[in-house]
Amino acid sequence: MDRTRRRISRGAIFVVLCIVGVVMLFPFYFMGITAFRSHDQYIAGSGLSLDSWKVLFDAIPVAQQLINSTIVTGGAVLIILAVSSSAGYALAKLGFRGSAYVFIAVLAGMTVPMQSIIIPEFVNISQVGLTNSYLGAMLVYAALGVPFATFLMTAYYRGIPNELVEASLMDGASFLQIFARIMLPMGIPALVTVGVLQVIQIWDDLLIGLLFLNRPEVRTITVGLATLQSSRMVDVPALMAGSIISALPAIIVYLIFQRNLVQGLTMGVNK
Amino acid sequence: MTAPAARHTAAPALAPRLLGGRLKRSQRRAGLLFILPLVVLELLLLVLPIIQTVYYSFTRWDGLTSKWIGLENYQRLFADTTFWRVVLNNVLLLLAIPFAILIPLAVAFLLNEHVRGWRFFRSVYFLPTAISWVVIGMVAVRVFASQGILNGLFDAVHLPVHLNMLGAELTAMLAVIITFIWSVFGTNTIIFITGMATLDREIYDAAKVDGAGSWATFWRITIPMLMRFIQFAFIVTLITAFTALFSLIFVMTGGGPGYGTTTLEFYVYQQAFSVGVFGYGAAIGVVLSLIVFAISLGQTRIFRSRLD
Repeated sequence: MDRTRRRISRGAIFVVLCIVGVVMLFPFYFMGITAFRSHDQYIAGSGLSLDSWKVLFDAIPVAQQLINSTIVTGGAVLIILAVSSSAGYALAKLGFRGSAYVFIAVLAGMTVPMQSIIIPEFVNISQVGLTNSYLGAMLVYAALGVPFATFLMTAYYRGIPNELVEASLMDGASFLQIFARIMLPMGIPALVTVGVLQVIQIWDDLLIGLLFLNRPEVRTITVGLATLQSSRMVDVPALMAGSIISALPAIIVYLIFQRNLVQGLTMGVNK
Repeated sequence: MTAPAARHTAAPALAPRLLGGRLKRSQRRAGLLFILPLVVLELLLLVLPIIQTVYYSFTRWDGLTSKWIGLENYQRLFADTTFWRVVLNNVLLLLAIPFAILIPLAVAFLLNEHVRGWRFFRSVYFLPTAISWVVIGMVAVRVFASQGILNGLFDAVHLPVHLNMLGAELTAMLAVIITFIWSVFGTNTIIFITGMATLDREIYDAAKVDGAGSWATFWRITIPMLMRFIQFAFIVTLITAFTALFSLIFVMTGGGPGYGTTTLEFYVYQQAFSVGVFGYGAAIGVVLSLIVFAISLGQTRIFRSRLD
């Protein structure tokens, strides 16, 4: 009797989870099915075609914008990893006059909304001639990503035993050598987590790209797609084809590094 | 804010016996050297713009020349009916929060029963986390459009309902809210699953022995023990709602119809980069950061627990 009840309740849970799954997956199904229809087939609701892809590639320089996204995301993430691992080492293991205040400032920096600083940021970057350049966008993304990355790296480095560092000091290693030979290699799991979080965030961002990269040939794919929509493009299949192309790299990163992403997102609450 | 700072300095980085004289000095020098890139980058690209935002919010500014006008921007802002309309939209967004917490909580509870395929479901639910708001908005428009998926669904089940949600202010906001709940569902579910994994199995067994039903167990044991995680999800969701929906609104509604879906963060962008009143935009930006800062103060409790 009890076993039957248990089986029924587990069956019911399975059904509910399936329904939620359908709700979550439906948009992806819609994207997939719509992208392979022509505009007329989409209206009619049946048929298969590659027309939409031609419309999309005619409307925006897809390949170029994918390359732009890769360069900007890659560059910004490298800057973030370099700055945050170095800062995390300084805050967790070296200490210096005022390091406590720097750490507090880093925490405060995590709470600054990008929209609040975007106006002077835009004016400053324009004045030094870095709009429409990859470097300008990379630096802005890096500056916004570094506080959280540093928080994560500092927390991680605090977990590495001081004895390891002390032993190397006794052996005559310099602080730079300790960073390169101990801290960086041991920090790899945290670096991967930081990297994955930032890759997805920067790849998916619109606002910075929209303002700082406004010529079509330097735009990222996410910005290219958004401007397509706001230019009142009515070809839904082409928009869905663009959505797939822009989402696919982030989805692949997600599928490979799912575990790191979960770790990074729940980092703020786990002791 | 000072308490964790004191603890941070109190924890000696390296063993003091090693740090007499020269080595200690060289360690401090190394510390300054390794923190330098962060300080330079953040001073130029984060701290400077914060100071500028505050300063220029007291000026009339077009990006090139500025004129000090004192509190005029703020006076204008608080007298601006559109501003209050926009604030109301932020308040409306708050209505999403209970759903964005309770639905994931319930689903996490079900996932935690570890029925067949639960890992697959978990991955599926978390998937939107990887997707940009631009793409989410792109599909959401087709869901809520007059000739869209939702109306198609109503037709299919012969419901005599036809909605044009994106056509009216309140329903457009509702569409944004529903999309928002859908998007954060996975993240919050993962947070709660992580929390539930930390709970002690024995407490449940004890509760069972005492004859507590699963409903009572959920409300009396699971929820209280998850409070830390619920609080965390609450703050993250709130901050996301107030500072991360720009792209979604940009693609889905463009802030309209009228100002129906313009939130504070969108209003900053619109005033500065569509209207061109940079000083006024800066004043809105200051108001937004004060609100977010107030919310974040609640979060310091969590930071503090991390530093212990």
